Amino acid sequence: MPQDDFIVGLEIGTSKVCAVVAEGRPDGTIKINGVGQAPSRGVRKGEIVDFETAGKCVREALADAEEKSDVMIGSVYLCVSGGHIESFNNRGSVNIPEEREEICEDDFEDVQAAAREVSIPAPNQFLHSILQHYYVDGQDGVLNPIGMMGRTLEADFHIIHGVGTRIKNSIRCVKELDIEVEDVVFGPLASAQVVLDVNQKNLGALVVDMGAGTTGYVVYADGAVKHSGCLGVGGDHITNDISLGLRIPMARAEKLKLEEGAVRLGRAVPGERIVLKDETGFAGKEIEREMLNTIIHCRVRETFELVKKRLDASGASMDFLGAGVQLTGGCSMLSGVDDLAQEIFGLPVHVTCVKGTMSGPTSAFENPQYSSAIGLVKYAQAMTAGVRRPGFFRRIARRLPFFNNLL
Amino acid sequence: MIALPRSNTPGLHPELVIKIIGLGGAGANALDRIQLDGFDGAELIAMNTDSQSLAGSVAPVKVQLGRQTTRGLGTGGDPELGYAAAEEACDEVRSAIDGASLVFVCVGLGGGSGSGAAPLVANYARQQGALVVAFVTLPFTFEGRRRLAQAEEALASLRQQADVVICFENDKMGDAVSPRAGIQEAFAAADHTISQSVRAVAAILQRRGLIHAGLDEITTILRAQNARCLFGVGEADGDNRAHAALERALRNPLMDRGRLLSDVSQLLVHVAGGPTMTLNEVTLLMEELNRHISDTTRLLFSTAVDPRLGNKMSVTILSSLAAGAAEAAPAPVARVVPAPAPIPVPAPVSAPVSVAAPPVIEPPLIQAEEPAPAPMVRRVRTAPAPIRPAPAPIPVEPEPEPEIIAPAAALVRPAPIITAPVPVPVPVAPAPAPAPAPTVAPVPEPADEGKVAAKGPKTAAAATGKPRTAREEKQEQMQFEPVNRGRFEKSEPTIVDGQDLDIPAFMRMNVRVK
Repeated sequence: MPQDDFIVGLEIGTSKVCAVVAEGRPDGTIKINGVGQAPSRGVRKGEIVDFETAGKCVREALADAEEKSDVMIGSVYLCVSGGHIESFNNRGSVNIPEEREEICEDDFEDVQAAAREVSIPAPNQFLHSILQHYYVDGQDGVLNPIGMMGRTLEADFHIIHGVGTRIKNSIRCVKELDIEVEDVVFGPLASAQVVLDVNQKNLGALVVDMGAGTTGYVVYADGAVKHSGCLGVGGDHITNDISLGLRIPMARAEKLKLEEGAVRLGRAVPGERIVLKDETGFAGKEIEREMLNTIIHCRVRETFELVKKRLDASGASMDFLGAGVQLTGGCSMLSGVDDLAQEIFGLPVHVTCVKGTMSGPTSAFENPQYSSAIGLVKYAQAMTAGVRRPGFFRRIARRLPFFNNLL
Repeated sequence: MIALPRSNTPGLHPELVIKIIGLGGAGANALDRIQLDGFDGAELIAMNTDSQSLAGSVAPVKVQLGRQTTRGLGTGGDPELGYAAAEEACDEVRSAIDGASLVFVCVGLGGGSGSGAAPLVANYARQQGALVVAFVTLPFTFEGRRRLAQAEEALASLRQQADVVICFENDKMGDAVSPRAGIQEAFAAADHTISQSVRAVAAILQRRGLIHAGLDEITTILRAQNARCLFGVGEADGDNRAHAALERALRNPLMDRGRLLSDVSQLLVHVAGGPTMTLNEVTLLMEELNRHISDTTRLLFSTAVDPRLGNKMSVTILSSLAAGAAEAAPAPVARVVPAPAPIPVPAPVSAPVSVAAPPVIEPPLIQAEEPAPAPMVRRVRTAPAPIRPAPAPIPVEPEPEPEIIAPAAALVRPAPIITAPVPVPVPVAPAPAPAPAPTVAPVPEPADEGKVAAKGPKTAAAATGKPRTAREEKQEQMQFEPVNRGRFEKSEPTIVDGQDLDIPAFMRMNVRVK
């Protein structure tokens, strides 16, 4: 029988499918019971391209998680990603009826609905609308307007939306296994929940989650999400570049990237060569280390520059990010990636993984690959806590019944 | 008092008389398709040597070519015959075209009637003061090299006569339909694409839009130092019509899902819709399109409300691709030739008058080695196009490599008259012509060059007006490595700011990797 007090975060990633089974404690800490994973197939750039194969991988990962945690999984929180996901900020405004002057819960719903009254491309659906700030009669910086007197209530929201059918595909992939999907969460947003603590969110930080298929980013300032987005470029592209540039097979390129790859330039001994050991009886191949690093460098640099360009274009000021840049996701394990990010973003950069009050197998939360899957658990815990806790969690808007619209 | 005449179709350009000519068998098929798809506001004229095929055509006006020459039969694939037939029917053709300000010529090249008659018909039309837009198809490869060579030859002369040539390769059109589709469907797809293009170009010109685009814009787009044409049309209705229409336009066989758009320098976008079209829809559509193009692309935008579209919205994207950039894309692309500047067209064939050849090509070639070439002999050969299976050093069999063209035929006649077989220079060295001076065309093309590759440098050189030596050409060609996306070849392209991110970053940054 599925146990209700367990939270399962499921990420159908481009390189791996990963399910985290955890227990939320009343004091806000999380205990991880087990992490199941399976290599992913049928997923490209964060989106499912082979439904059946991806389904099998999900089944494998969930079975693995059940075995490791000894918990039967009945429902999951699902993480979505992909280049189709976009975001913008919008202000919603409602007038409080004449007969009452006090702002109440309903107004909150209305203002959120008002903020969503914008045109997004027709195939897209809202994924999140996250509260940034309230304004009551133009008064700035209201933290909690309920109970306050006022004539108009305004609120800034950060709205994340994506192509409906693609999000549905991920959901269906899980539902086929007779497992409920409690909620869908944008990947980098989930990661941010665990790599940033409340203090960092208030100081301001940029989280860059560079996975195999996508590079997602979220900007926090004043405790609220200011900007977010996703590029359909990730570690797979690095591998592909290596494979094409050095003319070696993909599998070999992937191995080479993991074992020898670095982003730094000019560090290799001139002319230093890496000998590829042969596996199939063919003669090994020699590769110049600097060449390998150049290929990786070009791709990572370009990706960061694109993120920077998008952030600049969005008007999110980089100067106020007191907590700097937090890099996470599989690609953040590349050697020297922090230096490059520092050069491009002009901010202190940390490669991080899950922080905060966690317990369980340390191998799980000390690996940046699991940030988003564990982040899902944290997100879910915050959502289901029921009580509005001070700090960030109050600021995540309650979600419209997005999921009910979907299926 | 001034009386304002009201045209009966509001919103349409009143005085534009359009005539669409379907030439030869393939032309007739395309014409039938245009008729079936419904196209009013233009007169359809079928011209053919084959009276049977002509009888089967739905076009209201029919012109039989070569009553004497072919006696109602086809030409048997001989362009000479097609040419003679068109010449014979000169008066009939002229009277059929008479009064048109815009003439579309639809023709399938490679056969006899189409290849032979098309340049001549285009010539007549221009003499009558009409603008000529030619939509041509090149034969399937399996139809043989000979046919392809004939087609290329015809294309070259057509390019000199028509203002704009939009060229579809049948091979590429086949890609658009599923491999299991019936052959009829495959051919129908080709006809359909032509029909769509004809209607789209006509629509752009006819609709008196809110923001109007005219033929001047179209020619600007297609004339610029470029060699290839990207063309996409999409129509859609429903809630999501803006998105769907663009999607369809990009899915056109000539567009490669928008991948090629990132390389273009200018782009014409025409958005039309019924009265219900909203600004918001146009904005969304343009935003989406902008993702595919780079910041520096010059965008010519035009929009119109056309009540005939009802609830539909239609997008037409027209562009040409810089010659070099095309190499990067192994995609189906059509070729467009910069039309020669309007020049007095010579009266029919007899007089050996010079015919417009894009002047840019001229200097380098003359400069190439020869003391005093008779210009017009060269011209025909060097018109930006004729690319063919590269000639072997010693032409054993003269007809596929017609290197020498008699001055008279040079004007319009696609079928060359061969005066003497001349050795063609081997690729690298443009050796001084060994034979009588003006006979050798120094078009050294390595035999293994694909058509596309051969085309690129040529036009590039033409564009810059630089003298082109064989060495230079070789250098340029080295850059054109086919771009490989590896495992992302088949996946949905990730295009940000006009850059295809699936292409390795180091390649786009021009970092040398060895």
